[in-house]
Amino acid sequence: MTRYVMSIDLRRCVGCQTCTAACKHANATPPGIQWRRVLDLETGEFPNVSRTFLPMACMHCANPPCEEVCPTKATTKRADGLVAIDYDLCIGCANCVMACPYDARSIVHAAHYAYDDAAMPSEAARFDPARVAVSMKCSFCKDRIDEASVTGRIPGIHPEVTPACVNSCISGAMEFGDIEDPESNVSRLLDETQHYRMHEELGTEPGVYYIWDKS
Amino acid sequence: MEEIQSKSVKHVPTYCYNCVSGPDFMTVKVVDGVATEVEPNFAAEEVHPAHGKPCVKAYGLIQKTYNPNRILTPMKRTNPKKGRNEDPGFVPISWDEALDTIAEKLKATRAKGVLDETGLPRVAASFGHGGTPAMYMGSFPAFLASWGPIDFSFGSGQGVKCVHSEHLYGEFWHRSFTVAADTPSARYVISLGANVEVSGGPCAVTRHADARIRGYKRVQVEPHLSVTGACSAEWVPIRPKTDPAFMFALMHVLLIEHKEDELDVPFLRDRTSSPYLVGPDGLYLRDAESRKPLIWDLNQAKAVPHDTAGAFPALSGRFPVSGAVSVDADDACTTMGDAEGVTAFSKLVEHIEKYSPEWASGICDVPAETIRRIANEYLEAASVGETTVIDGVTLPLRPVAVVLGKSVNNGWGAYECCWARTTLAVLVGALENPGGTVGTTVRLNRPHDNRHTSVVPGEDGFMAQKFNPTDKASWVAKPTGRNMHRTLVPIVGNTAWSQALGPTQLAWMFQREQPSPDMAKPTLPDVWFIYRTNPAISFWDTPTLVKTISTFPFTVGFAYLLDETNYMADLLLPEATDLESVQMIRVGGTKFMEQFWDSKGVALRQPVVAAQGDTRDFSWISTELAKRTGLLEPYNEAINRGAAGVSPLKGADYDFSLDPTKEHAPEVIWDAVCRAATTSLSKGKETHDLEWFKEHGFYTVPMSRLEWYLSPTMEKQGLRYELPYQERLLRVGRELGNRLHEHKMTWWDEQLSEYAALPEWHDVPGRWDAALVNSGAKVEDYPLWLLATKSMQYHAGGNVGIELMREVSMNIRGHSGVIINATTAARYGIADGDKVEIRSHIGSTFGAAVLAQGVRPDTLVILGQFDHWAQAFAKDLGMPSLNTIAPMSIELTDATGSGSDIVKVQLHKVEGVSA
Amino acid sequence: MKKLTKKSADLLSPKQQRNWDWRAAANFIAGGAGGSLLLWTALAGFSSGATRMAILLGLMLIGAGLTCVWFEIGRPWRALNVYKHVATSWMTREAMVAAVLFPVGGLALLTAAPWLVVVVGALGAAFLYTQARILAANKGIPTWRHPRSISLMVSTGLAEGIGFLICVASLSSQMIGTWGLVGAIALIAVRAYFWKSYLGGLHADGAPDGALSVLNGFDGRFLMFGHVLPVVAIVATLVGMPAQSGVLFVAGILMVAAGWTMKFTLVLRAAFTQGLALRHLPVRGCGVAGAAAKPGWTMTGT
Repeated sequence: MTRYVMSIDLRRCVGCQTCTAACKHANATPPGIQWRRVLDLETGEFPNVSRTFLPMACMHCANPPCEEVCPTKATTKRADGLVAIDYDLCIGCANCVMACPYDARSIVHAAHYAYDDAAMPSEAARFDPARVAVSMKCSFCKDRIDEASVTGRIPGIHPEVTPACVNSCISGAMEFGDIEDPESNVSRLLDETQHYRMHEELGTEPGVYYIWDKS
Repeated sequence: MEEIQSKSVKHVPTYCYNCVSGPDFMTVKVVDGVATEVEPNFAAEEVHPAHGKPCVKAYGLIQKTYNPNRILTPMKRTNPKKGRNEDPGFVPISWDEALDTIAEKLKATRAKGVLDETGLPRVAASFGHGGTPAMYMGSFPAFLASWGPIDFSFGSGQGVKCVHSEHLYGEFWHRSFTVAADTPSARYVISLGANVEVSGGPCAVTRHADARIRGYKRVQVEPHLSVTGACSAEWVPIRPKTDPAFMFALMHVLLIEHKEDELDVPFLRDRTSSPYLVGPDGLYLRDAESRKPLIWDLNQAKAVPHDTAGAFPALSGRFPVSGAVSVDADDACTTMGDAEGVTAFSKLVEHIEKYSPEWASGICDVPAETIRRIANEYLEAASVGETTVIDGVTLPLRPVAVVLGKSVNNGWGAYECCWARTTLAVLVGALENPGGTVGTTVRLNRPHDNRHTSVVPGEDGFMAQKFNPTDKASWVAKPTGRNMHRTLVPIVGNTAWSQALGPTQLAWMFQREQPSPDMAKPTLPDVWFIYRTNPAISFWDTPTLVKTISTFPFTVGFAYLLDETNYMADLLLPEATDLESVQMIRVGGTKFMEQFWDSKGVALRQPVVAAQGDTRDFSWISTELAKRTGLLEPYNEAINRGAAGVSPLKGADYDFSLDPTKEHAPEVIWDAVCRAATTSLSKGKETHDLEWFKEHGFYTVPMSRLEWYLSPTMEKQGLRYELPYQERLLRVGRELGNRLHEHKMTWWDEQLSEYAALPEWHDVPGRWDAALVNSGAKVEDYPLWLLATKSMQYHAGGNVGIELMREVSMNIRGHSGVIINATTAARYGIADGDKVEIRSHIGSTFGAAVLAQGVRPDTLVILGQFDHWAQAFAKDLGMPSLNTIAPMSIELTDATGSGSDIVKVQLHKVEGVSA
Repeated sequence: MKKLTKKSADLLSPKQQRNWDWRAAANFIAGGAGGSLLLWTALAGFSSGATRMAILLGLMLIGAGLTCVWFEIGRPWRALNVYKHVATSWMTREAMVAAVLFPVGGLALLTAAPWLVVVVGALGAAFLYTQARILAANKGIPTWRHPRSISLMVSTGLAEGIGFLICVASLSSQMIGTWGLVGAIALIAVRAYFWKSYLGGLHADGAPDGALSVLNGFDGRFLMFGHVLPVVAIVATLVGMPAQSGVLFVAGILMVAAGWTMKFTLVLRAAFTQGLALRHLPVRGCGVAGAAAKPGWTMTGT
């Protein structure tokens, strides 16, 4: 069995949003829609204050509440752990948006462009009407993962088959790979570190691990 | 997927150099001729410290290319009146008309002489951030070289938005235009306001992330919790502009509370001026004959010239010296008779004794025990005595550094900070040694690509310096540039970068008012070129600056968008931008910030997509200008000399020179550069042409890490760092004072006070209060400090009109307004999101309140540089700007000509507009 | 574009959901009441005229709710895809119940056959239950996913249904009967119980501060107008107060209106997202890890 997961080392992240922008490029998301973003969280009171940069996206849960509630089977959990959306099935009911405790999903009901109403060539070339008025979210760059099965390359090792955010990260905060493979980058890193998954208590079994300290 | 596969898909390698922390590699995915995605260039993973990855700004370049607000044809102004409220009435014209108009203007100017009747250049040029525009202007530098004298003194923020004093003193002390921690080996870094996680580029971000995992400690000393503070082990919220006191107290702990032998005694003794004997007049005691500074030789128990073979200098102590002389300003030699000589080190110890942590605590608002602990941690982490082996050479390992940020190391107090920072490194032998404080580039000295060869022996056992002369015979009384850099700032020198590093705000200020009735208003340039710069937004007192800009008689803007500066232009020339034109630059080696690599080479920027509209490659524009101005031959010769950057086209073993009499297409020019660069780098083993680079993107050769550290070079040449005692600066300052006073110039006297052998603390923040009083305002009316800090998404990118940057930057605190301490805000009745007015004594700026705990209660913080009023998209952002309300003032200008990016303000809620 | 771009602070704490608007709320509001009305109609033993009136009202309520939803979904012409996931999706199950309910309800309307009325009543109850489960299945909204939201949604639906039945009875001169009125009081009490139980559960288990603030603010009004006043009115009629049918009508309306306001509040105003939580803040270099953080939650619950 394969389960692709992502690890995010919070010790490394500087909140630069390079992954946010890379995701927007890779997935041609409309303005204002970010399948992933890095949150900037301040805690404490002056002068004892911390600031944490927290990348958030779809957690590709093993027990995805979005998939459970989806009435159309547009959202599915794949054998490799990815939670995917079939835009042609989705009716845009937003039930999955409500079901996701990670605020990972969004629906855009009309075409939006960066500058007013007209699409730039880069937007026009990639505009996908199938994604209007349906649920969208981080796909772990599933086309790349699918390509891996064709080319034999390894997600998390070879950039061509690794999610764009992971490739782009200038602080090296993210790793991607098969957690069922004890030799994968992710498995080895998680062995060496202390980490947690967000909202685990909800039973979602998320596929994103936040690293916060060494073992 | 199938659909995409049926299309033409290319991944084109190129570079991003939108800020000095680059260049960084990237590839652009092009589908059916349309650029769609920016991606890292993993082919560079092994050679680039950030593994081939660019930062977020690079991802804005696709929108930059296709931005519907772009200027796509040459335009000329139809409204002769200029001003913020005058519609310029730009209308499209042909390239022929545009170029002919400029050429006629330039020819007419040249006919009058390249210098005007006052000796100032008739042509001026202003470029933006840190030399980066040169990485996009193709062969234009060769055109400027062919022209002759150009005035670069109308700055776009140089001196107030950069780390100015660090540039000048860093280069003086250790050939370090930019100073960095040797992050790959660092264990302890004290960072005073350096926001390296934001402005250090991918190389710095990658390295500091690695260092965090390794377990290094960074202490961020800064009034607000910046991104760098956030990623540090500790945040020390210091009171603004009190950093020198903090650093003096650190020195106090090292020098007074620890034993001398806990410091790096051999380094101090052999590599610094510490053993030089200082006489009662504060000058070095010198050998009467050779005039060399004396040391106390413990072997012979007598004073001998510093370079006496076999001498073993005393590091500390007071010694009787007979028959020495001292040499003061203007070569005034005094015979000292029987005098007591005190080593410079002992002078330092005595000097620093009064600056205890308890003393600093009240000034800095930092507990004494915190200061003491940090100093002790620093000393312990320095691991004096430890060594490391690099490429077979054993070197000291001193993994500690102190780094400084903008507003700490510019303006008043910056000299003290730079001196303290470098002296702190010296005390533990961490200057230019592995793990310590290193310089990464030279700009005021030559050659720019190798700071080691810029080091040659000079006076008194130190490296040679190229100060602007202050002696009576050579002092440049008549300014050669509109900011008087040669006249006022000896340390800035007079090489290509000096003018733009002179006090650039003076060029603007003198247009408005002169500091003395004797001084005539400097002339305006006949022609002003501007490129990748927007001083009307990026400098200070921008409302007044706009008025000055509107008086320039003929302004040519190489323009991407209509902005607040080129709004006053007469002609706009749209150049093919980042992804549309060809250029080659150097990469690797040791460059700005943390760009020090294990290899060096060149990278190509190439047309990823066709140029939009009627925009043209900058090299084409340059060649056309040269041809039409009658300068084609000198222009081509300048290219042959290497003026377009990278390499001369002719070397000892190769010759790719262009025929100087002919016009060459950009691809021909850069093909020759590609060949010359690779032949030169490979020492003749390989030659690659433009086509090869279009496929491969870059070419590098390995470089020893030893090139990161200057100390071995200093040792080889038997040179000492000119630290801790600043006898030369003391003399130069006195000499400069003599010259100025001879010319009845007393308005620079306060700046002369900065020329001290051992800097004293003075009430640095109080200078801002004094300036308020002198301008007729009441200090109590302006109780808060306003600071500006950088944003990685925008910093130096000229990308405020890029929607993607706006969108992603909004995820980071502060990009929606002004950061205010929540307790302070409550006192003012301000809630998060409320519209507020921030008012200085010269004006107001408006924005939304962003409430935070991670900022001192007496400090407000604004990110980036906004308040646009002309630029499409940007003008609707509603962001405040420090630049709108920060005054340009001689009073707040330090001796290097820089000012701190900080202003005293009052805060008001704008009633009726709530969250 | 600018409207879509949120500032950093707005991304951190739980925020009111914006994907389901009044149209989605209308489905829960009207559908639950309608389903329950069908159930009580089956049990009421009204005349065929009044039964028809009640069934028509019940079907109209459910139909109106579903129509509102149809207008809300992004791809209404694909609405039939809703039937694809009966295995786990309560929305699919709701749609399936509706698909049976309308033809059967139509037949019942035509024939008023008692067995059909009973089947319609059962389907109405099923519809009510599926709706409660739809809401509770949404793990992203802490105030919905709380297990006690199911009993709350069902109990309010039942109270609204009986409220409607009382209204229908008033308008059609049908007698509810003493036991019916006592039953109504019981249902009001049950709803009050489950409401307080739900609120108590949220406080005990944790919910976003914003949501708790909304619900706490609503608590008193809900109990007064939806419970105390209707009970007083019903008791008054039971002890022989004049103008009984008018008073009962008002009581029924209050029962319905309070339930609807509560559902509107729950589906829109108190529907705060989960937000984020960090069990540990990261260690930077040799610094120390910060304490756990859960912005927008005072309580430590899930």
